[in-house]
This record gives sequence, structure tokens and C-alpha cells, in this order.
Amino acid sequence: MSLLVLEDLMKAFGGLQAVGGLSLNVHAGEIFAMIGPNGAGKSTTFNLISGLFAPDHGRIVFDGKDITGAKPHERAHSGIGRTFQLMQPFHDMSVLENVMVGELFGHVVPKTLEAARRDAESVCALTGIDHLADRDVTGLGVADLKRLEVARALATHPRLLLLDEVMAGLTPTEARQAVASIRRVRDSGVTVLLIDHVMGSVRDLADRVAVLNFGKKIAEGSFEEVAHDPGVIEAYLGEEADGEIKPGG
Amino acid sequence: MAGAALLAAAAALPFWLNRTQPYFLQLALNVLIVAVLALSWDLLARTGQLSLAHAAFFGLGAYTSALLTTRAGVPVVAGIVLGGLMATAVAAALGVLTLRLRGIYFAIATLAFSETLRVITKQLRFTGGSAGLVTPPLLPANLPAQYLVILGILLLAALTSELVNRSRWHFAFTAIRTNEEVAAVMGIDVVRFKVLAFAISAFFAGLTGAFYAHVFLFINPFEAYSLAISVGALVAPIFGGLYTTIGPLLGAVALRIGEETLRAALGSGFLIIYGLILAAVILYMPRGLLGLWTAAAARRHAGERGVTAPVSGNGQA
Repeated sequence: MSLLVLEDLMKAFGGLQAVGGLSLNVHAGEIFAMIGPNGAGKSTTFNLISGLFAPDHGRIVFDGKDITGAKPHERAHSGIGRTFQLMQPFHDMSVLENVMVGELFGHVVPKTLEAARRDAESVCALTGIDHLADRDVTGLGVADLKRLEVARALATHPRLLLLDEVMAGLTPTEARQAVASIRRVRDSGVTVLLIDHVMGSVRDLADRVAVLNFGKKIAEGSFEEVAHDPGVIEAYLGEEADGEIKPGG
Repeated sequence: MAGAALLAAAAALPFWLNRTQPYFLQLALNVLIVAVLALSWDLLARTGQLSLAHAAFFGLGAYTSALLTTRAGVPVVAGIVLGGLMATAVAAALGVLTLRLRGIYFAIATLAFSETLRVITKQLRFTGGSAGLVTPPLLPANLPAQYLVILGILLLAALTSELVNRSRWHFAFTAIRTNEEVAAVMGIDVVRFKVLAFAISAFFAGLTGAFYAHVFLFINPFEAYSLAISVGALVAPIFGGLYTTIGPLLGAVALRIGEETLRAALGSGFLIIYGLILAAVILYMPRGLLGLWTAAAARRHAGERGVTAPVSGNGQA
């Protein structure tokens, strides 16, 4: 069953067609990866799904309901959570308080501060940042900031989690931990839609992959299928000479 | 505890000052007016909305109450409350219009709004034009009682501020101030909280303006909508410590008393020194007076736990 359906989405900025007629089906319970060269429209698609941008054309259906016109906070309440590629922690708040925001406001039914604190503590434990809970966010390393991004998104208790390059900048060990933790999130019943450039992780994680180029979908299928697609190889080789897609990893 | 003692002292103040030093009671009343405006400004600033329009809400409150009491025969107390409510209603409408503006653009829009109100008030015959309005008194010739009224308003503002800072609103305000987009995708209704903050903030500014009108018994557009009021409302929280209840109060007390002392000591040139002190505090103490206190407390705390702090050489206690 489709949890998220994108129908012919379009978004232009001035003369630049960032997303040009994108259709996508994300099934409940799967890990779906969007890959593609820089500027392919992946992050714009995330902004359309989470409601930060309004599409020029097309429809977004989440869990059978048309949410194309819904506000970002309404989408959060209906079960869409996301991280940001450039980590955006709330300064003036501790790590735990950052996560508490999600617990407090990610649901329609309000939570007390005590309940939110307790639940935020368990999200911190789940994402491996419980030892940092009382720390100020300034001075955290990249890996911990990425974990905080995921923790905040999880604290809204999403049914669909959008992960925007959470592996970028991680060491191989940290990336392996991240892969394991994303699997655990999926196994707990959350559908995952992710953007990433780290192909080894995408291959390990994704049930299905869509490849975007110039705002359009040029291939969709298993990682192996898209990795051997001539159009995909051309898009990547045309963009980056070292050819980032290597099925061997 | 300390707060209750302070409040008791503040409430007792007029009863001995009034007999011995009425000038100081007048000064204390002015300090309280600035303190309410400072808290009101800070409440709005917690959502990242930096207003240059506090004079607008102060003036709206003052004129609403002045007009209702002189032209419609409304009792003074009711006029003051309605003055606060008028400011609230206008702020909610303005808040919706300025939602998309951030930082300096928001500040400029609010300044324009305030100046517009002043020009309109100056031009209309209905509002008394540039000659202003003479207003009926609140608690006539009873300075101690007037002082207690503004103390009560300040208490209400301080309670509101504490309630906000101890509730989920604190999380919403802080998140919106840091990053509206992240706040929104985490489920915060940004529009609602920004407009709410604007409305609450304006209520206290309007209430204070209306109180002012019936204590000083005369208002005109130049004073009621003066930039000095807007600037005073924002300098005190910055000086004392932003986003707290104590900071704006501390800032208002320190600034007003400092200003009076400098004026008495230096005469007409005092504003130069005053300005230099302000600039130094803003440059070198980004967390204001309250920041000095918390830094000292943190050092003491570190010392108690036996952590070797690089600042002190001898004290181990």
C-alpha cells in the first residue's frame, strides 16, 4: 500500500525547473532512496513533501489524504518527520530540549513537559545521544549533530521519515552505525524516504531506489537495477568523472 | 523567596518615600512603567520579532483610553483596560501582516507603523491634533496608590512572562526564534505563536500607555508615539538580559536610575556618557547584567565541585 504518492510535481525557481513533473510511490514499511547528481531536485522534493515549498503543479497524497495545501506543522501532525541536510539545531537549547520540541509539538494531542522530557530521553537513548542530553548544542561534532537531527525528527513520532543526507561527512564506522539505526527505525514501523550520496549505504539500506536528474525521475527499481541502467550511468558520468555509482561498493 | 521579599519592599516603598522624598516615588513609578514596557518587548523578542513599535501600542492604549473617558464618558479604570485590549487587537492584525518579515525588516515595518499612527493622530481633530488631550485622573492626587497600580500591572506582566518561560510556549518561542522552518516541520504552528506573542506583548504596552495617560493627565502625539519609548523598551532587556523575566526588570531599574544619577551629576552632557556605557554593555556583555550573574554562579558551582577553573588560583572550597 502506498503511504506517500507524488503526482506530477513541479517546482521552478525563476527560470530554473528544480522539479519537473516528478511522480513517486513510497510503500508503507519500505526504505526508499532518492539519489542523483547535485541539483537533481532531491532536496526541493523534500521541501515540497514537508510543506516548506508549495508546488507549482501536481499533488501530494499522504496516507490516502491530499496534503498538497497543508501547512508544514499540519503535515508534521499527520505523521511526516524530516531532517535537514545542513544541520539546524536550536541554539539556546540543550540537546534534550531540542528533542523535546518534537515531543511537545509533533502531535495533535498536547503532552505535558514531564511526559515530553521522559519521552525525549528515550529518543536520545535510541539515537545514541543520551550522554549529551544536558549539553549545549554548540560544540557538538558532525556525527552527533546528525544524530540530533534524526532524534528530533523521531521525537515527532513520524510514520514517514525523510532523511536528508544523514550519512554525509560520517566516518565508515559511524555510517555503519547509522545504517543499523535506520534499519531499527524501519523495523519499528516507520517508512523511510532518504536522500544520500554514500552509495554503499544506499545499497545496504534501500528496498527501492529512484534516480533523479534535472528534476525528473530517470530510473526506479532495486539498487542493482538502477546501477546498471545506461541512462543512470550517463547521468552520473556526465556529472562527475569518477562515476560515483559503483555496484561493488 | 527573594522575589517575595523584593515585592514586599516594592509595595512598601511608597509609604515612606511619599512623605520623605516624593521625587523618588515619582522616579520609582517611571521605573515601573519602563519595566513593564521592557518585559512586554522581551516577550515578543522571544519569538525573534524585534519591535520598534512599542510606542505604537503604548500610544494606542493612551489614546484609546483618553478618548473613551473624555468623549464617551467611560470610567477611567475601564478605559485603561480597553486601552490594553485595543492595542492587543491592533497588534494581532499587524502581526498577521508582518508575519513574513524577519529581523531588521520586521523592525522597520513596526517603526513605520508607529510613525504612521503618530502622523494620523496629529492630523485628526477628533484626537486633539498636535495640541493633545487633557485626560481625567486615575486615583487623583494619590501618588502611592498610582504607584501600586503600575506595580500590579508589572506583577501581572512578570507572572505572564514566567508562565510563558515555564510552559511549552517557551519551547515554541525559542524554536521559532532560532529557525522558523525547522520549528514548523517539527509541528509548531508558527503563525499562531508569533501572533499570540504580538498580542500579549501589545496588551501590556497598551495597558501601560493608558495608565500613563491618566497619571500624567495630558497626552500628545509626540510623547505618546515617541521613538524614545520604543527604544527604551528594547534597551532595558538587552542591557539586563534577554528572554528572561528578571533581565528586563533589572535593565529597567539599572538604566533609569543610572540615567537620573548621571543627569544629576553631569548635567546636560550626561547622554554622552550614558550612550558610551550602553554601547560598552551591548558590545562586551552579550547576555547583559544577568549574564554577569550567571557566569559568576557557574564559576562558583565549578569551584564547589572541585573542578579546577582556570580563572582562580587559590580558592578550592
